[in-house]
Amino acid sequence: MKLGPKAVATAITVSAALALTACGGNANSGNANSGAGAPAATALTLGTIQDVRSWDPAQAHVGHVLQPYQAAYDSLVLREPDGKLSPMLATAWKYNATDTVLTVDLRTDVTFSDGAKFDAEAAKANLDHFKNANGPQMAQLGAVSEVKVVDADTIDLSLTAPDPSLEFYLSQAAGLMGSPKALGTEGIKTEPVGSGPYVMDKASTVKDSQTVFTAREGYWNKDLQKFSKLTLKILADPTARTNALVSGQIDATLLDPKTGKQAEGAKMKLASNQVDWQGLLLFDRDGAKNPALKDVRVRQAINYAFDRKTILDQVMLGQGTPTSQPFGKESGAWVEELENKYSYDPAKAKALLKEAGYESGLTLEVPAIPMFETQISVVKQQLADIGITLNLGAALTNTFTSDIAAQKFNAMYFSLFQGEPWVAINQIVSTKALYNPFKNAPTELQAKIDAVQTGGTDAAKLAQEVNKYVVDQAWFAPLFRVNQMYFHNTKVTVAPQIQQAVPSIYNYSPAK
Amino acid sequence: MTRFILKRLGSGLVVLFAVSALTFFLLYIASGSIARNILGDQASPEQVALKEAELGLDQPILARYISWLSNAAGGNFGSSWFSSEPVANSLATRIPVTMTMVITAMILIAIIATLIGGAAAVRRGWVDRIVQVGAIVGDSVPGFVIGIILVTILAIQLGLFPATSTISPDAPANAWALSMTLPVIALLINGVTGGAQQIRSAVIKQLERDYVRTLRSRGIGEREILFKHVLRSAAPAGLTVLSLQLIGMLGGVVIIEQIFALPGLGPLAVAATGQSDLPVVMGVVMYTVVVVIVVNLLVDLLNGWLNPKVRAS
Repeated sequence: MKLGPKAVATAITVSAALALTACGGNANSGNANSGAGAPAATALTLGTIQDVRSWDPAQAHVGHVLQPYQAAYDSLVLREPDGKLSPMLATAWKYNATDTVLTVDLRTDVTFSDGAKFDAEAAKANLDHFKNANGPQMAQLGAVSEVKVVDADTIDLSLTAPDPSLEFYLSQAAGLMGSPKALGTEGIKTEPVGSGPYVMDKASTVKDSQTVFTAREGYWNKDLQKFSKLTLKILADPTARTNALVSGQIDATLLDPKTGKQAEGAKMKLASNQVDWQGLLLFDRDGAKNPALKDVRVRQAINYAFDRKTILDQVMLGQGTPTSQPFGKESGAWVEELENKYSYDPAKAKALLKEAGYESGLTLEVPAIPMFETQISVVKQQLADIGITLNLGAALTNTFTSDIAAQKFNAMYFSLFQGEPWVAINQIVSTKALYNPFKNAPTELQAKIDAVQTGGTDAAKLAQEVNKYVVDQAWFAPLFRVNQMYFHNTKVTVAPQIQQAVPSIYNYSPAK
Repeated sequence: MTRFILKRLGSGLVVLFAVSALTFFLLYIASGSIARNILGDQASPEQVALKEAELGLDQPILARYISWLSNAAGGNFGSSWFSSEPVANSLATRIPVTMTMVITAMILIAIIATLIGGAAAVRRGWVDRIVQVGAIVGDSVPGFVIGIILVTILAIQLGLFPATSTISPDAPANAWALSMTLPVIALLINGVTGGAQQIRSAVIKQLERDYVRTLRSRGIGEREILFKHVLRSAAPAGLTVLSLQLIGMLGGVVIIEQIFALPGLGPLAVAATGQSDLPVVMGVVMYTVVVVIVVNLLVDLLNGWLNPKVRAS
């Protein structure tokens, strides 16, 4: 009978030993910024949502995933936090009279981390590689038919048709410049070779866990190189990101309204920004599969059915702005009068349905999409109030994009990016857009789209007409623009980047 | 014994083949247009067709399976469709993280569950009641909830441990130990309580047997009876439970690794399954099945070694 107390004693000893080992080693737990009272951060540690698929710049993605590439690769054009396009590796760029040739002047004092020189040949090699490598953003150079070297520091990009987004794309994936010696090799897939402010520390980097960069010696633009070390810690789980931020393991990360509350409680600072809109996309505007959707009054009735402010407050904890338009505030296509075009008015909605001959109601089907269960159930409830039955169809699967393209859904609830007007038009409005699967193209609208395409510097303003048309015709039923909750500690200053949930790498600096 | 091992290995291979075929065809049914998923929503049909040809997705499914099988038989699991990283590399960097955690947890479960279960069986009374109640509580609280509680108290409030992993190749050994402590505790709680319960029952059963009474009547000490005879006879039950827990733990570890941002097999499996990255999913599944087969084989061998009666049967 002596075993009992001994077992208990042993268990206690084991636990105590574990705890003591833990305490003893805490000083080396690995956070580069853990020094209390440090005046300013010389190392920046960011929590990111996923690792890059490949470091080949032609495989670069946009949105959340562009940031890591910016550490290693300079782009031709620099996009300022407010969206203004500034020189970077390109010093100047200009279109010809018909907007079909873009002449780009390049820097001559830049080298890549493997010693190769940046020049017109290198820029051409990159743009050609991007066009041929079949990467996820290949469409960014879809309009470019040829890249020609004019002289050592000038290239011409010939276009098949004007592309008002091209300069923007040159600040994104298409503009990233890798060493011409490394392009197309196996090595560049796992270790970037660019001219950017940082170089990868391969020894400390673990795929899907952390990527470590150190400042590159002799970098040509010291203003963009604000830290001696940069660590991107991959934290897919929002709880993990919150814990890492609150406990000081990382300096900044993207959270959501719910986890943001915890970060606020821990005195983290918020760099908020509106990037996406959420709402219904009413695809079948010609009534090919659901005849009711052909009637603009039905589509408008759907828009009048929603109490956007209450939905926003309850579902997103008020983090966003109710809206009736799908174009973003900073896009240039945004129109103030459209903001509350469809205010909550169930009586008017019912009257419109009656006028359209759907007094006895109609049925709408949307796919079930994980992440939006709450929103969809609220939408269902509010549509029921005006006599529309919302049926939940098959769940979203990996066949999502092909299902949309195959016109499997007449309508859906989704969250979409509010980008540059031409980017947004080609995402949700034009006949090329994935989110216009029924290829609705009224002549009146097509003329407005064409005007944007050939509008040159007026493109954004001309896109307001497209916006007005799709809102008047109720192509969508937007509910609200969502606040992106980017939190950071007081050691760093962060400037939000318009149209990006995660700021560009240049927007961080040590706090003063 | 050699015959026994060979027989088990043979049936293991059959299981491996069956699981590979099942997984491959099920993934094929569920995966949709992989090429489009890789290229994103802006991709043109020509781009998609090009990607499909590049990945061999334009081949009939049976031809693709046979090709995968012949490569896999030669040890080549191919490369991820999304990252182009060889599957063997992904597994090689992640298996040590997951297995360090799982094996540490298993060793601790074996020790702690034996001590607690044994103590409950021998002492009964209040110790037994505490173990019984603890087993119910421990079994009913999921590991990830325990993980979150541990992080909140021990990492965020007290700062004793890192809230998420700091594992990197240049990290000192104590940083590794620190990063592993909370996940291992979160992982082992269910196992300890479940294991202790099983060992308690098995020991009680043995203590009631005639041979224990005989040994006592010969004046042999309680400690010798317990360690030399009772625990040895109770071992098969405990080992079976442990092996089941290890297999179950391979599932539980997925969530724990996500919460603690540990670069183990879990996040790889989750990401690859979500994207239908077939080469990676197949690699993870094959590895897991091999672990299960090997664990079962080892448990049988250990049981035979501990208890000659099992060997004879």
